[in-house]
Amino acid sequence: MMRFMQWLHRWVSLILIIQVLLWIVSAAAFSLMGHHAMSGHQYMRHVHPEMLSEQAPQWSLDEVRRRFPAADSIVLSNVLGYPQYQVKEGTEWSYVDGHTGAAWQTDAQLAQAVAAASYEGPGVIVDVEAIERSDEVIKWQGPGYRIDFADDLNTRVYVDAASGQVVDHRNTQWVIADWAFKLHFMDYSGERSFNHLLIWSAGLFALWFSLSGLILLVRNVAQGDFNPRRKPTWLEQLQRDEKPIASSCGGGGTCGLCKVTFDNAQQPAPTAAERVMLSEAELASGLRLACQHKVQASDKVELANGDVASHTLNLQRKRDLTPSIAELTFSSSQPLTYRAGQFLQFKIPHENAVLERHYSFATAPTDDGLLTFTVRHMPAPRSGVPAGIGSGFLCRLKAGDQVEAIGPFGDFVLTEAQERQQVFIGGGAGIAPLRALLQAEKQAESPRPCKFFYGARNGSELCYVDEFAADEQVDYVPVLSESVSEDWNGRTGFVHAVAAEWLRSQDLSNLDVYVCGPPAMLKATMDMLAELGVPRNQIKFDDFGI
Amino acid sequence: MTQVTRSSRWRVWHRWLSLIFGVQMVLWAISGAYMVFFDLDYIHGDHLVQEITQPVAQEVDVRPIDDVLAAYPHTQNITFKTLWYQGQQQAVYKLSGHNGEQLLNASTLMPIALSAEDIEALAIRYYALDDPKVESVVYMTENPPTELNPALLPIWQVNFDDFGSTSLYLSENTGEMLVKRHTFWRGFDIFWMIHIMDYEDRVDIESWWLQAFIIGTFILMITGAVLLVYTISFKRKSSGGAA
Repeated sequence: MMRFMQWLHRWVSLILIIQVLLWIVSAAAFSLMGHHAMSGHQYMRHVHPEMLSEQAPQWSLDEVRRRFPAADSIVLSNVLGYPQYQVKEGTEWSYVDGHTGAAWQTDAQLAQAVAAASYEGPGVIVDVEAIERSDEVIKWQGPGYRIDFADDLNTRVYVDAASGQVVDHRNTQWVIADWAFKLHFMDYSGERSFNHLLIWSAGLFALWFSLSGLILLVRNVAQGDFNPRRKPTWLEQLQRDEKPIASSCGGGGTCGLCKVTFDNAQQPAPTAAERVMLSEAELASGLRLACQHKVQASDKVELANGDVASHTLNLQRKRDLTPSIAELTFSSSQPLTYRAGQFLQFKIPHENAVLERHYSFATAPTDDGLLTFTVRHMPAPRSGVPAGIGSGFLCRLKAGDQVEAIGPFGDFVLTEAQERQQVFIGGGAGIAPLRALLQAEKQAESPRPCKFFYGARNGSELCYVDEFAADEQVDYVPVLSESVSEDWNGRTGFVHAVAAEWLRSQDLSNLDVYVCGPPAMLKATMDMLAELGVPRNQIKFDDFGI
Repeated sequence: MTQVTRSSRWRVWHRWLSLIFGVQMVLWAISGAYMVFFDLDYIHGDHLVQEITQPVAQEVDVRPIDDVLAAYPHTQNITFKTLWYQGQQQAVYKLSGHNGEQLLNASTLMPIALSAEDIEALAIRYYALDDPKVESVVYMTENPPTELNPALLPIWQVNFDDFGSTSLYLSENTGEMLVKRHTFWRGFDIFWMIHIMDYEDRVDIESWWLQAFIIGTFILMITGAVLLVYTISFKRKSSGGAA
């Protein structure tokens, strides 16, 4: 339930965050301006019409009634003292000269006088323009006049030609407010409607977003997270003690990296986050996430992997394996013991912050202690968007440069002592841990048979192709998914499909499968294995950090 | 090297800010959703009322406007129309000037004073739904309900016994329906109050606490955006192979 709330809160916020920021910014504009400034009426004078008795109409009411027999109402008014009949028939209005009975005429001179009478600002009229309509007065059909005043607000007054009446005042602040309305109501037509599909959807998202946040907040209060004297979680305690413990999410229970072992007589009950992140066997053996449990005096906690430590790595050499994947080889300041398939958490300095990136060892442990990684250049998806920060930083390192890393982490390691066929399925830069595992298997006393399916887009993206092609202990099946040149005589298509074809002829109960690759390939492969019926406990995969 | 990772600090800030400003965000979302989901014309009660003017029959003889102006020289605006009173549709002049508005019988130029029965009959004619059931007719001179602008007093309040507890407010002088209210308008008004955080007059959008909450919510959003970057994008292990 809470994990679902976290998921909901996070993904809805990703969709909604731009609009929420627009809502906040436009709300700030409303609040700073106030109703009066937004109205455009700063320099509008309330006009008191002249007394009708000053200039009584020469055309009589009876004549108006004969001309407009269906009139619902007839209004006698005046424009700057000159009488005018306004006749309403249904929703239609007609305007009639009170002296002649002819249709009302508004020329530029009258429009200018009407506008001036409605204005009490410091400006003078600088322009009178006959217009058909205006986007600034969206409900007015026109035609009429736009009268511009030279003042600090760029006031313009719109006068309707048919009636000789002022339609409205507009100015610069009104335009700002209008944009704030467009942003706040998500209505860019200018009609300031807030009843439409787009904002219904946004409103629904905003409800989900804020309510899930409220539920999480209530949980935090209930957990005592706001109590300044509460006990720290084990993650906070270990971080304070500067122990090498990894965390990407900062205590949210979503990354699953801060694993520790509880050696208490009574182990703490696993939380919902732990049930998702850890297996039943791990939970039974006392493995927990350090962020999920507060420090108790009776706790006996050990870092799940005693070999984890901080290391300063020194770049020895760098070479390009393919146009997009580089191989980096480091030496370590102190000996680093790891198992093939594990990874290090690199500390990437970036704009006053330190980001964390995970890279798997690309070889089995070597005698000379050198550590090899493969890094995929993350090119900018399009111009103006930065390229991958972590990969960009590592690819810019020169021989002799240093980088901090913690580790090793991970349980993507070889199975033990079972005479089974070993099947490796990988794609793209996912080759690193698989290559390490294959090397480790070959170094074993009695290596098990190894089959390696490796997918890439095209021939130039196949990492270590010569190395594997020449390897007699590994049955290597490279698969290309696109741009196959004529001299390619290997398999084509998706790597999981090619692997599936082969797996169908195998004894599925007698093999171990290791999978690593980009998310889409990983999911397709896991679905395929499930469909074929490969037992779940014979599959290991590395999904790049949970 | 310190290992208190940045995401933990952002998370602490996000939690504390949400404790103060997040609750108002929930209120903004709920009140905003109400205002967005109910059609504004429906909130205004446009479905509750209809036009009641009718053309003046040609054969009705009325006094000329010159006579009106002679009797009432301080008139700025005259409307000639019909109005239902004393049980029939009659031609009237409605005058407006510095002294407010006044109705005259168009044939006699006698001033018209509308009775409670006239107001009730007019309200029923304005009412557009089937089967009008008037619950009460109240002449208000002071202590208006919050749904009515006090500047409109004195005024007639006609309450209907219907789904939305409709109230129509009719002018004492002209019998014109000036204000219409129903349950969903009243709900909208409460949510509007919550939305702009003016709990007294429901009009002030410039209060310092509203501005403080806008700024606080902005900071809350920024901390949330940073956490979003940490938890959605950075948790992926970008090598091993994520393309």
